[in-house]
Amino acid sequence: MKRKIKSRSLSVKVSGIFIIANLFIFLVDLMLLAGVNRMFTEMEETYRENRQLNELSNALDSVQRSMTEYLDSKSTDSLSDYYLSEQRYAELSGQLDKRVTDRAYDRMERNISYMSEDYLSEVALTIEAKRGRNVEKYRIQYEEASKLHGYIKEYIRSLNEERFASNSERYGILSGDFRKFEFFAGLVMVVVFFAGAFIIIRITSILIYPLQALAKSADEVAGGNLDAELPEIVSNDEAGRLTTAFSKMMVSIREYIEKVREGLEKERQMQEKELMMETHLKDAQLKYLQAQINPHFLFNTLNAGAQLAMMEGADRTYEYVQTVADFFRYNVRKQDELVSIENEVDLVDNYIRILNVRFSGDIHYESQTDERLMKVKMPGMILQPIVENAVNHGIREMGDKGHIMLRVYKDGDRVYISVKDNGKGMSLEDIEKLLGGEWKYEEKKRDSNGIGMDNVCARLKLFCNRDDVIDIKSEGEDKGTEVIINIPYTSDQE
Amino acid sequence: MRSKRLLFLSIVLLAAAAVCIFALLYFRFNPAGTQVDENEKIYSRYYAMICDDRNSSFWQRVYQGMTEAAENSDCYVEFLGADLNSELSTQELMDIAISSVVDGIMVLGNEREDMTALIDKATDRGIPVVTMYTDNADSKRCSFVGVSAYSIGKEYGRQILNAVTERDRLAGEDVKRDNKVTVLFDNSNLLYDHNLIISGIGDVLSREGEGMVFLTDSVAVDDVSPFSVEESIRDIFMQEEIPDILVCLSELDTTCAYQALIDHNLVGSVYILGYHDSEKILNAINRNVVYSTLAVDTAEMGRHCLEALDEYIESGNTNQYFSTDVTMIDRNNVSAYLIKEDGDEKKD
Repeated sequence: MKRKIKSRSLSVKVSGIFIIANLFIFLVDLMLLAGVNRMFTEMEETYRENRQLNELSNALDSVQRSMTEYLDSKSTDSLSDYYLSEQRYAELSGQLDKRVTDRAYDRMERNISYMSEDYLSEVALTIEAKRGRNVEKYRIQYEEASKLHGYIKEYIRSLNEERFASNSERYGILSGDFRKFEFFAGLVMVVVFFAGAFIIIRITSILIYPLQALAKSADEVAGGNLDAELPEIVSNDEAGRLTTAFSKMMVSIREYIEKVREGLEKERQMQEKELMMETHLKDAQLKYLQAQINPHFLFNTLNAGAQLAMMEGADRTYEYVQTVADFFRYNVRKQDELVSIENEVDLVDNYIRILNVRFSGDIHYESQTDERLMKVKMPGMILQPIVENAVNHGIREMGDKGHIMLRVYKDGDRVYISVKDNGKGMSLEDIEKLLGGEWKYEEKKRDSNGIGMDNVCARLKLFCNRDDVIDIKSEGEDKGTEVIINIPYTSDQE
Repeated sequence: MRSKRLLFLSIVLLAAAAVCIFALLYFRFNPAGTQVDENEKIYSRYYAMICDDRNSSFWQRVYQGMTEAAENSDCYVEFLGADLNSELSTQELMDIAISSVVDGIMVLGNEREDMTALIDKATDRGIPVVTMYTDNADSKRCSFVGVSAYSIGKEYGRQILNAVTERDRLAGEDVKRDNKVTVLFDNSNLLYDHNLIISGIGDVLSREGEGMVFLTDSVAVDDVSPFSVEESIRDIFMQEEIPDILVCLSELDTTCAYQALIDHNLVGSVYILGYHDSEKILNAINRNVVYSTLAVDTAEMGRHCLEALDEYIESGNTNQYFSTDVTMIDRNNVSAYLIKEDGDEKKD
């Protein structure tokens, strides 16, 4: 049954509701109408007894009249009139109640009934006497009958008045009741109106509910939420079919999106692979280059050169070759591990020394270091590229006026290492570029150990796990540059 | 959620339906105005009581006595004519009762021939008739319920003596003078009872009123035409010779007499001996306007009437005469009756 209702079309359902509501109202109206009808019948009944009494009185008069007429004229018309009216009156008076009760009406009716019998027999005797031309007798009988006629009339009149009075009272009660009924009918109509309106609203909202749910889901989807909850399918009508179609559509869209997403993922993976391959290629290239220069061969060669220089008494040459050997050994060895500040400072010393040999002592280098900080750990190959930068970009063009100052000091819980030159200086844009990591190291540049400032910055940031590890200060063109790095002061100086 | 809604909906529907059904049932089975008095009682016997003055408290009380006595039996007594609009005479009411074939008639009798004829007519038609208070001895009535006219006369005679004695004592004079006694009687009672009363009075006065002179006379009051009683009584007080003692033999006579006494400013000089113990008369005694009154035991009279009829119908025979007690009420015992009267009024 329920399923049957659910599978009906929306229009049938809506029509059904209105038909039921109208039927309900119609039934109530019918009831009220029945009540009104009953009331009217009651009102009509009210004076029925009075009408009956009037009828009785008229019939009595007509008996008396026809008798008098017959006595007057002895005409056949009046005699037949008499018979007719006598029959009519006997019939009417026969219907009267003959019981004796404690109600005055009943007793009066009873008396009227008996007196009528008496009267009719007197009248019959009168007519009989008239026919027999017994003048004396019919005169006496006529008087008797007239007397009785008067009594009966008196009784009927009194009864009629009594009845009228009591019926009027009843009529008053009835009309009062009619008013009550009127009020009640009004009340029922108001109740029916509100109940009907309420029922229609509720049922309509139940019918509309799937459409509302569908609209809500559609709104959500329109707002971009493709994962919106799909509306529940509660009926098989138009709304239900629409909901089903919408749900199917949503499922299809989700499947399609999933497919597209998978395709993109594959593409990304392929790009990654390509990148990896490139990296590996570069790695291979490096390995190839490294393999071309066997460091041991280089160091042995340089050591042999140093020994030769010693044997020949060329001390400076010996020292130079030794420094170069140390420099490269460090380069080969320390690139990927933590070193102490002392190692880094030594490397810078070696580097400057080599440069001074190469450029015949043009660079004035000064280092101020705190011995207590010398064991603090830091990443390798940091200071040398900074110094190299200062030389190459700062003081190279200055001849013997170039001056580089290295300082190591502590402030709070951090160790500061400053490399300051008096070279060309840097523009603010360049500083920002450099610190922002946008400065790209030019690989093919000669005269360098291959490590650029961007690399240094990146490694320092990684080591300290913070961004403000390096600061570059320059007061302007030709006013030098100071690069300050800071690293955490670690008490573990091993 | 849905089921909750449906439940609510059905409750609303049910409530609306209940209101409608209630309305239907209410107006279907409880229509106003049609409530018939179903507990009406049906009687097997129907007696008619007929008298000349339904409004007098005397007859009202007799009727009350009858209905009280009838309460336990299966008969209904109707004060015939009470439900009719116009006033009918005793004879007319008798005619109606006979025509209506009642089961028994109780009538205030008189000795006139037309009454005798009516009583005989009723008896011939099988309706037993009881005369009450005054008789119609010549008729075929089955019984008479009343007071002995002679003993009433004797009572009045004693009261006359008392009144005269009191008057002389108050006046302080020792002069014996003639005392004029007037007895009022109705035309209808002319023949039989009245003479008995007069002789009763006469006997007492002659026997006990030694040394006193009484001039007794009777005045017939015209009670045939309406309002004539009052006029007749006033006429007495307009005469040159006003009676010293006025004996009234009906309630209306008494009432009219004491009113006339007041109007003619004769209170104290004329002694009224009244009849019946209506409230008015009792009050008049209390105020010293009426000297004394004769009260008939109305309840007993009513009861006797009913008993006589019942007995006659059941056994075909009954006592020819039922006597009813009389009591004399004067200033000495009036308060007791006033209290009783008061109680009766409240009961009504």
